[in-house]
Amino acid sequence: MSFQNTKINLDYNYPIRPPSTVMKLDRLGSFHQTRLSFTRRLIDDLKYQKSKIEIYQWDIDNSGIGSAIIKIALKKETLSLVIFCHSISDEERTDRVIAEKWDMTFSLFRGVPNNQELNQLSKNLEIQEAGRHNSKQLTLSRANKSQRIFEKVLNDLSIGKQPSEKLINDVGYLVRTTAVYGNGKFGIEDFSKTNGHTFLQKPFQAEMLTVYLVRYFSIELINFLAKKKGGKKSVILSKHLTKHLGVGNATGLGMAPFLVNHQELIHQWIYNRETALSRVFSIKRLNKKTQNKIINYIHQAFKYSLQWKVDDRLQSKKIEKLNLDLKKILQNEELTKLLNFHYPIKRFFNFFKDDITLETQEILNSIFIEPFPELLEDLINNMGAEEKKSVLISYTVNDIIEIIKENFNWAIKIDTSKPEENYCFWYTSQTKLEPRLGITKKDAGIEKQLPFDIAHQIKQAVNKLNKLPSNMTAAEVMINYPELRNIIKRVIINKSMPYSEIQNNLIGKDMKPIDILRCKLSFFGASKYDPKSNLWTRITLFQGAPLPNELWKTNVNDWLFPNLPNV
Amino acid sequence: MISVSLNEIYSETYKALRSVNIEWSLAKDCANKAKWLAQHGQNFLGSILKTADLYKNKEISISINENTNKKPLASALMGLLLVEYVSANKITWEGYIDNSKFLLAAMGIIAEEQQINLTLENEQKEIIAFTKEKKIYVNSNLDTKVTSYSSLKTYNYIEEKNTKFTSFKKNKEVTNLNGKCWERLKSMAFETYVPESETSKSGAGY
Repeated sequence: MSFQNTKINLDYNYPIRPPSTVMKLDRLGSFHQTRLSFTRRLIDDLKYQKSKIEIYQWDIDNSGIGSAIIKIALKKETLSLVIFCHSISDEERTDRVIAEKWDMTFSLFRGVPNNQELNQLSKNLEIQEAGRHNSKQLTLSRANKSQRIFEKVLNDLSIGKQPSEKLINDVGYLVRTTAVYGNGKFGIEDFSKTNGHTFLQKPFQAEMLTVYLVRYFSIELINFLAKKKGGKKSVILSKHLTKHLGVGNATGLGMAPFLVNHQELIHQWIYNRETALSRVFSIKRLNKKTQNKIINYIHQAFKYSLQWKVDDRLQSKKIEKLNLDLKKILQNEELTKLLNFHYPIKRFFNFFKDDITLETQEILNSIFIEPFPELLEDLINNMGAEEKKSVLISYTVNDIIEIIKENFNWAIKIDTSKPEENYCFWYTSQTKLEPRLGITKKDAGIEKQLPFDIAHQIKQAVNKLNKLPSNMTAAEVMINYPELRNIIKRVIINKSMPYSEIQNNLIGKDMKPIDILRCKLSFFGASKYDPKSNLWTRITLFQGAPLPNELWKTNVNDWLFPNLPNV
Repeated sequence: MISVSLNEIYSETYKALRSVNIEWSLAKDCANKAKWLAQHGQNFLGSILKTADLYKNKEISISINENTNKKPLASALMGLLLVEYVSANKITWEGYIDNSKFLLAAMGIIAEEQQINLTLENEQKEIIAFTKEKKIYVNSNLDTKVTSYSSLKTYNYIEEKNTKFTSFKKNKEVTNLNGKCWERLKSMAFETYVPESETSKSGAGY
């Protein structure tokens, strides 16, 4: 790690927070977007690529039905978002992943489709999972119009009036996606094929680009329809309201197992985030301009928290407390002094940390990272990970026991015989073909459960390993006891990648899947988490992000904690 | 024929094997080997279905010590474990193994990931395949699909003699599969899914 090229004054490395602090669900479930998040990275990459985004084809009729193609020219490649708009009734519009009809269906496509390809896409995109898709498609997605806002905004614009800021802020998007599939799903291109492609090989880049283009399309669509409806009386949506619109997304349990199944990747994301934090905590002095930036970001976060409204009681309380914490921080007389001290960020954080919630701690961590993009470049470009199929051969029984003692103490401490530690199980639903959660004593299907009982597997492994010769190789253990292979592989990965394991019992009664979702979504760059239960949440992506015609601007990626002035 | 992605090959394979109660890690190892074979231009699907049937009927072994010509070691399930075991313990393993294509995939995987040099020989001590510098080289004159008595070991030096060896290359993917076989694999995978419960109805969108 080298800071030689940075102008920032760093003279020691602040220790990175240990996995025992970070990898707890309550903290992971308090993460917010940072500069490392994929939406933010996409905007930087689009700027670097000098990308040109334009409407290439527009065959939408006055009622909003038809097709369109948005073309995006990158330095070495052209991609396109192919869009079909359908007619559906209000009753057919649902967030459920199992829905069969949507207002709009999309695919990010390599190149621009010819007529034959477009014809094939028109048949298959409409039916989404039920169709067979081709390897030129990078993603497969669909969205519904927001029933709370779409028609109201359209009516206002068509009569020459801007919609209210409150309405725009309360919802935050015109359309909401219910799935964005990538990586080979239903026959589309495998993520591994993007290897060596500087733009697409980053995790979730194709998915994020799809959502960004869906946002652009939703704005173009509403302006187009308003003009068709209102004629000369109509106006287009003002720039500041347009920028405050993102794309909604409903995310449920289907996403949660990703963090369990992709140990190397989750380690890389969290390790990079923690490394970023340790770097900014190691900054010796801050100049006045950067001090002001940090204070300004806290003000932004304060306003954002005031405009973050949800129905969920628990999350509402957390937001309320966040708001009070930020207010207290901003009113504290020590604030400017703290930022003037040596190691200002470390002192600032330590000064407040015991009196603020995890939600506030983690929003501050997002703020601390924000002013220092030059410290993050290597981390931002290194968010992927290679997943090994084989298990490293150099480990013995003794080694495995030692790693478990050191890294899995959290699992050892859990009394896995208690009913509350066996409260639920994960399985794949027949109806949705996606992971779901069942209640052990109530629901059928435990014999088909997914192997997410990590703490239980650790205990079983310890019992067996303690009876085996300490110098026996792990490979010999696994070939004789294949049922231990899964957990031994996890333990060995965790030795070199300590942020690869969530340190909670994932089948315990206290486990809240929403925390797992939020962790992953924070790396996507989500904002305005709006939990609908412990099992699913609505979010907004790209709220406040620059529009395609602004990508060339200086500081184009400064859009943390978007808020509207008059709400 | 049906065109599928590598990701689909991986996910449908391990789920299908789970439907006949094959251990999670063995099912996932097999799925990785299937994906590797597809990436290297080798057919795999029929062998996966056959392995599942044989396992279900207890006509295949998953023991490195107890295997016979009639009940050979299942290379699709045990290949990766076997190459790790031989590599870690630096031993020579000998025994009956079915369709050694999956063992070749396992050798290829460990060569790529851990740079281990292994040789696989037949009963006549002819080299069937060896790994070197992250690649696997296969004797073009020998059939690797049949059940045979084989030995697997690590090596420091290998004499290639006059035999013609070809390396498996990563550039000709087999992702166009027999539609009927693929549907069978998918229907097996479907058996691992659980009918929707009231609890699951609390998921996204409800």
